[in-house]
Amino acid sequence: MKDKILNTVGKNLIPFIQIFGLYVIFHGHLSPGGGFAGGTIIGVSFILYRIIFGKEFVQNKLRFSLLIRFLTIGVFIYGVMKGYIFISGGSDLHWATPPLGIPGSIISGGFLLPLNIIVGTVVSVTMYFFYCLFEEGEI
Amino acid sequence: MTIIKSFPLIGVLILFLIAFIMPLIKKNSVVKFLSIASFSTCLVLFVVSLNYVIHNGSYFYKIGHFVAPYGIEFSIGIIECIMAVLFAFISLIISWYSCYSIEHDVNESKVPLYYLLINILVGSLLGIIFSNDMFNVYVFIEISNLASCGIVVVKDKKENIRAGIKYLILSCLGSGLVLMGIAFLYSMTGHLNMTFIHENLINSYMNYPQAIIITLGLFTVGIGVKSALFPLHTWLPDAHSNAPTSSSAMLSSLVLKAYIIFLIKVLYRVMGNEIISETPILFVLLALGSLGMIMGSVLAIFQKNLKRIIAYSSVAQIGYIYFAIGLGTELGFVIAIYHIIGHAITKSALFLCSGSIIEKTGIKEIANLKGVGKEMPYTLSLFLISSLSLVGIPLLPGFVSKWYLAIESIGVNKLYLIVIILVSSLLNAVYYLPISIHGFFNEEQSSSKLYKSKEKSVKELMPITILVIAMLYVGVNSEGIINLIKTTFV
Repeated sequence: MKDKILNTVGKNLIPFIQIFGLYVIFHGHLSPGGGFAGGTIIGVSFILYRIIFGKEFVQNKLRFSLLIRFLTIGVFIYGVMKGYIFISGGSDLHWATPPLGIPGSIISGGFLLPLNIIVGTVVSVTMYFFYCLFEEGEI
Repeated sequence: MTIIKSFPLIGVLILFLIAFIMPLIKKNSVVKFLSIASFSTCLVLFVVSLNYVIHNGSYFYKIGHFVAPYGIEFSIGIIECIMAVLFAFISLIISWYSCYSIEHDVNESKVPLYYLLINILVGSLLGIIFSNDMFNVYVFIEISNLASCGIVVVKDKKENIRAGIKYLILSCLGSGLVLMGIAFLYSMTGHLNMTFIHENLINSYMNYPQAIIITLGLFTVGIGVKSALFPLHTWLPDAHSNAPTSSSAMLSSLVLKAYIIFLIKVLYRVMGNEIISETPILFVLLALGSLGMIMGSVLAIFQKNLKRIIAYSSVAQIGYIYFAIGLGTELGFVIAIYHIIGHAITKSALFLCSGSIIEKTGIKEIANLKGVGKEMPYTLSLFLISSLSLVGIPLLPGFVSKWYLAIESIGVNKLYLIVIILVSSLLNAVYYLPISIHGFFNEEQSSSKLYKSKEKSVKELMPITILVIAMLYVGVNSEGIINLIKTTFV
């Protein structure tokens, strides 16, 4: 779009939205929020980006094939991690888990942080895909 | 070995994990190989765990680190493992068959998506079978709901989308009712784990006479919609006849059965004999099952489309399963499970045969299929053998379950039920046999056709042949299978 005000506001606002989304994801195990909430915030920033800068411009930056790769690899890693925990717990095998760390610091809580990051990725991509699906009819 | 205990979980996980690699792969042949590899791995895992369960007895497997009322459980017994082996086997065969013919039905670029949906569908059905937690089952029901609608609409034609939407709306209604039933159980007992619900309910069910009946009604109608119990079957013929061949085989032989297993779990594991004998639920199932046995066949007689006939026959066969559950005896229950096995194998063979006939000749109406036996003799022979099983010819699984159902009807002193079984078998013969008879012995039509001109190659017929051999095995070895199912009662 050619509108200068919209462009400038978008350019300044979108990075802050994304940083806030990352904050929510990375503090999911310490405070309210988490992967899903943070993921929706980042997804909203993608949608805003697409509305403001137009379909053709954004399509080159956020290619569908790349996003699908993020989505599927994210789900795959999530499944592997959860499966590892399920099997280790269910059969009482006590396989190694990441250290729990000091309560309150960001790197703590075992698998919680990586799982939150994956959920955030998948949710943000899915939000963006939904918007594109409604706009174009097919991805 | 403790790791063998986690094989059912590993099987479900493998299906879900491999499903999500598929969209990344560009070559369709690799996707097909991955799908077949995942199903065969599952088959091996489940056969091992069936063997383990037979020797060591059934067990509960906790998912994660938390024990039963707080965490989720799998309950793994003989019936669950038999069903898992059956599901893995049939989905392996169907995906093998679909390797050769899927491009005929589905757009080339959608093939990875199709196999993703199949893997997720089978994984969630296995989840429904194994899980011992009501809400977990509900989540798996929703996944399988979306995946099964997905494999109907993947063909991208007008009538497919219409059938898919109809299926989606009705089965969403069904899962809503199931969720409501779960909510009733939760508010009565405060648990979601089936074992704990049962323990609580057995002490307190006298306090909630109405709520128990309402809960059972919600579960029956909700699962009845999803598994096509007779008056609720209206979505089935559209969805099954329009879907791609391998999808309709999958839907008819596996998806309906998993929900019935869940209903059996609700009746016997959650409620228990003591509670359901005080409600009219078994009589309702018996009545609806008998209606379905007759009406499904009657409706099938009036159909002109080959796949629609087979779809309506599914309604009749589901009627047999509900009939067997509705008898309410030990043998009735065993026959319900046995009929699930027999029908799953037979119906998938029938759908694959009719799919190959339609694919090769391009004709869907049976009136125009006269003389097809000369063009495709092997395919039609396999079709004939499988349809004979549903009609009830000795040695084949259809006969075995009808025979035991008749014996059990005498056992519970309801002789008029035998009439229903006989009428239903005769009606089956009325619509199945003419297809083969006209196919093989129609002089005028077949004289103009070349012998074996449209026959599929041997490797494409192999999956159907294996299904028919498996069906013969299930029929001949019925004694062993029935005894194996009976051991769950000891």
